[in-house]
Amino acid sequence: MSAPTSPDDAAVGPPEHLHPLFLLTGLGGSLRGIAGGYVAIGYLAVSGRWGTAFFGMLALVAFMTIGIFLYWRRFEYRVGANEIRIDSGILNRTHRSIPFDRIQDVDITQGPVARVLGLAKVKFETGASGGKEEGVLQAISLKRAEDLRRLARARRSGADAAVVPESEVSEAPPIYQMTPQRLLLAGTFNFSLALLAGLFGLMQTAGDVIGFNPFSRSFWLSILSAGDPVRDYILAHRFATAAAGLIVLVLLGVATGIVRTALTDFGFRVDRTGVGLRRRRGLFTRTDVTLPVSRAQAAVIASGPVKDWLRWREFRVQSLAKDEGSKQGSHLLAPLARDEEVNRLVEEFGWKPIPGAVTWTRVSAEYVFSLALALVPLILIAIGNLFFNPFIGAPFLAGLLGVLGVRWLAWRRTGYAVDDDRVLVRTGWWRRRITVLPARKIQSLDLRENFISRLLGIAWLEFGVAGGGMTGHSIPAIPRREARKLRDVLLELGT
Amino acid sequence: MATDIETIAEGLVNPPAVATDPDLLPVEPGYKNVLRFRLLAVWLVVWAAGATVDQLAFQDLPVAGFLTFGVPVLALTAILTAPERIYRRLRYKLTDRLLQVVRGWLFHVDTVVPFVRVQHIDVTRGPLEKMFGVATLVVHTAGTHNSIVTLPGLAPARAAEIRDIIREHVRTDFA
Repeated sequence: MSAPTSPDDAAVGPPEHLHPLFLLTGLGGSLRGIAGGYVAIGYLAVSGRWGTAFFGMLALVAFMTIGIFLYWRRFEYRVGANEIRIDSGILNRTHRSIPFDRIQDVDITQGPVARVLGLAKVKFETGASGGKEEGVLQAISLKRAEDLRRLARARRSGADAAVVPESEVSEAPPIYQMTPQRLLLAGTFNFSLALLAGLFGLMQTAGDVIGFNPFSRSFWLSILSAGDPVRDYILAHRFATAAAGLIVLVLLGVATGIVRTALTDFGFRVDRTGVGLRRRRGLFTRTDVTLPVSRAQAAVIASGPVKDWLRWREFRVQSLAKDEGSKQGSHLLAPLARDEEVNRLVEEFGWKPIPGAVTWTRVSAEYVFSLALALVPLILIAIGNLFFNPFIGAPFLAGLLGVLGVRWLAWRRTGYAVDDDRVLVRTGWWRRRITVLPARKIQSLDLRENFISRLLGIAWLEFGVAGGGMTGHSIPAIPRREARKLRDVLLELGT
Repeated sequence: MATDIETIAEGLVNPPAVATDPDLLPVEPGYKNVLRFRLLAVWLVVWAAGATVDQLAFQDLPVAGFLTFGVPVLALTAILTAPERIYRRLRYKLTDRLLQVVRGWLFHVDTVVPFVRVQHIDVTRGPLEKMFGVATLVVHTAGTHNSIVTLPGLAPARAAEIRDIIREHVRTDFA
């Protein structure tokens, strides 16, 4: 920032515009946003009114261009001594002031086009709920974006924290990093059963039409040359077609998982910066997010049966600021990590590492029984169907018993432990997670019962925790007296 | 099974917390009237809709008349019995550092909010509440889950008193 010329200037700073290239990138963005317009034009074109369609298209583009230009013209931001001011709006002007004290985090996102042009989208995260367009600069130069971030950080941490040049930070070894091999492995784990089912359905219904149905014999016969041993095998054995189809599907599923993971998590690395942890990731769209450690509310170490068996974990942190572009809203800090790496990240937050052997207090077996009770009507229906319509009744019953079986497996793992000044909660069998919840971060505690659980003498303990993303944390099915005791202990620890 | 006979027996005979903790205070009896009028409003809408459907479409069916004449009976039963029960189960406790709100039986919730976790506090009074001289205390925490804890049916002076007690403890512990 240049030297201020007057005291007034120092308070608010000189006005700045978005980068002129925003006129280009912004147009692309808004052209993507008007699907309805294309449908209308497409309809006009199909119905033969080419002139009208052409005119409509022209009007749309002109309208957009003028809109973008006005937005750019009327959008100003100023970087002052204590705040950032954003003046925006074409007709309704909004003058927003974001004090540096309240900026928890400056996110920098670069889409593929923006990366080519050297632009970046900057978002000032203030942790306020709602209002997603709270402090967004759609396109400024990457250099300016990094300046802004450095400035916000320096202002926040006070004058004593020396401003560390970005380049120097990058030279320190990262706290956590994804190697290409690990990215590949993470992609394999990202294999989605839902996608598989979807593909299977698609091939069954439309596969013959589009000429790609690995479950039909003719498909294999047509792509394999005569005399090929695989072809002979398929001709000889009926089940071979199904097996081959399944293999193709699984390969497709794995490939999709790898591509998806590579797109988001390519070059994943976490570094320590002055106030927090900085995460960079993405292949085409690169994001650069800093999570201030003091904002962390809870952490989750997640895994699955296979992942867990291979000793891999995923590490997420729930923070006051929401992580944009992640479905859960919590900050993913390690997609695939060993216990030591997880503990290293945990320690960065000033928390103790997760003990290797935790003595879990198991929850009541009524956890399984209460679900069984709730399922009784459905089970009766299934058994009834077994007599009248075995082909529907049998899978239905098997599904219900499967649900109960998974609950039983989950029950064997579900437990909690009070570990000094925090509570650890372990849940799930398929979606295994260990939640680390510092007692000081618990906002409210609910003990929940209903008329069934009361008969069984169990209660659910639910935690109110600040910050977005993860759905409520809770410990299921604790015997009532224990639940009250645990609540008192946590209240004692937390206040 | 992890539960012993005693726990089950306790679950059967005791309504939880309310009976075991003598410090849990009831709210103002006037709150029952608020509940009665609210129920009345809901049931009036249900009855109006039901009666309309009944008169227009159900006249040829064997259930004809139920929605027009049966619903008011149900409504009356609900209005006469439910508020009394809801009132009886709603209790609160104020210690030197936390607020506890206990409510419900079918779906029982026992909430505890430490004062230091409170972000801000409202005392609200709707027209019905004004009519029967009660107020609702609304406590906001920073949590995203259960972030709003309400305690209805307090005397306005008591609500203001609790608000002032909590206000002294309000502070932000994250910067």
